Amino acid sequence: MKPTIEKLLEKYYDGETTLDEEKELRAYFQQENIPAHLQSHAPQFRYFANARSEHPSLKSINALANRLNAPEPNWVVRMGSWSVRLAASIGLLILGFGGGLVYNQLRPSAGKGTDLSFISETAPEKSLKQTLAFEQLAKTSASERIDAINQSYEITQADQEITQLLLNTLNFDSNVNVRLAACQALARFEREPSVRDGLIQSLKVQTDPNVQITLIDVLVTIKERRAVEEMQRLAENQEALDAVRLKAEEGVQSLNQAGNAPS
Amino acid sequence: MDVQAFKQRILPVQGRLFRVAQLFLRNREEAEDALQDVMLRLWSNRQQLETYQSLEALAVQMTRNLCLDKLKAHSRQKMATDGDFPEVQATTATPYQQVEAADSNELIHRLMEELPDQQRFILHLRDVEEYSFEEIEQLTGLSVNNIRVILSRARQRLRDSYTKANDYEADY
Repeated sequence: MKPTIEKLLEKYYDGETTLDEEKELRAYFQQENIPAHLQSHAPQFRYFANARSEHPSLKSINALANRLNAPEPNWVVRMGSWSVRLAASIGLLILGFGGGLVYNQLRPSAGKGTDLSFISETAPEKSLKQTLAFEQLAKTSASERIDAINQSYEITQADQEITQLLLNTLNFDSNVNVRLAACQALARFEREPSVRDGLIQSLKVQTDPNVQITLIDVLVTIKERRAVEEMQRLAENQEALDAVRLKAEEGVQSLNQAGNAPS
Repeated sequence: MDVQAFKQRILPVQGRLFRVAQLFLRNREEAEDALQDVMLRLWSNRQQLETYQSLEALAVQMTRNLCLDKLKAHSRQKMATDGDFPEVQATTATPYQQVEAADSNELIHRLMEELPDQQRFILHLRDVEEYSFEEIEQLTGLSVNNIRVILSRARQRLRDSYTKANDYEADY
């Protein structure tokens, strides 16, 4: 064996040994009893044998295994989250555009009514109608109704509906001040025959002296001669206040004068 | 290439790759880092791996290049991994033998590191990893004759420097 080992060593140092021969050498030098003259060769073979058993620590192998195992689900999850994100963004876009379209389609139909009403009647007219509507009476306060009546001053073109509303207010409102306001507002529409008739009718109905006096004033101002008869009756009415009777007489006189003057 | 195939073909090599990395980086932790890097690079390129003739050769080359890059990136001082060596000693040896063996092992290790890179690499591939000349040729791109010459020089130089160091220590 010895000569063989020495020969092998020689071949080894010349780089001529085969892998098998080198294995043999390493195995030989792993054993305990090596002749003294070969001792000096032992360490490097032992070193090689030892070095071969060097391995990465278990920790790093595990870490690597984890990193290799992890990427697969990660990859799927990332793709998933990507597609989810994409789907979500597209969904949002569609939702936004769809919402806009639906909104645009709904708005004209919802807005048509208001737009048309804006064309047919102006804002004060509308709020006036709303506030003075008979059913609203209980819900609205006197000042609100006066406000609404005052808004009628902004209306230039009187329409039947409004004058009727004002007349109703004049005749049936529970609050004197509201009736006064309605009366004064109606004076503006003196050219409307229905307003004139309404005012004359109202004189018969009214019991409040304030309103009666105001009515007489209005009728005199608009020179409504048909009211003379009613004023006469009021002037002779013993139940009426003196002030009212005086006013009525005055009204009769001024109307008669006005009627006589041109003739 | 799926996970299973990758594990079957690449993971058995990681011991070798680790030793190669350690050979260059001379540091256990950095070698482990390098090994992980190489493995992950191989993994992320697993689609192209089929086209290579020898995966192992590719992996070893990648490891070597990565290590050389790392060394170039920060030319660092030598860091020995002495601490790790006692762990790999045969447990049957007596404490004295252990110490002696550890000493000579350490000495060889140090002497190995003093070898020129090429000699060290080829010596490692041949005597530690037991690659055939053809495989080393594939790995290094050197001719077989060239490899033999380098190997012969490395072996002799290692022996000579060991004898010298041992004599010096004996004298001392």
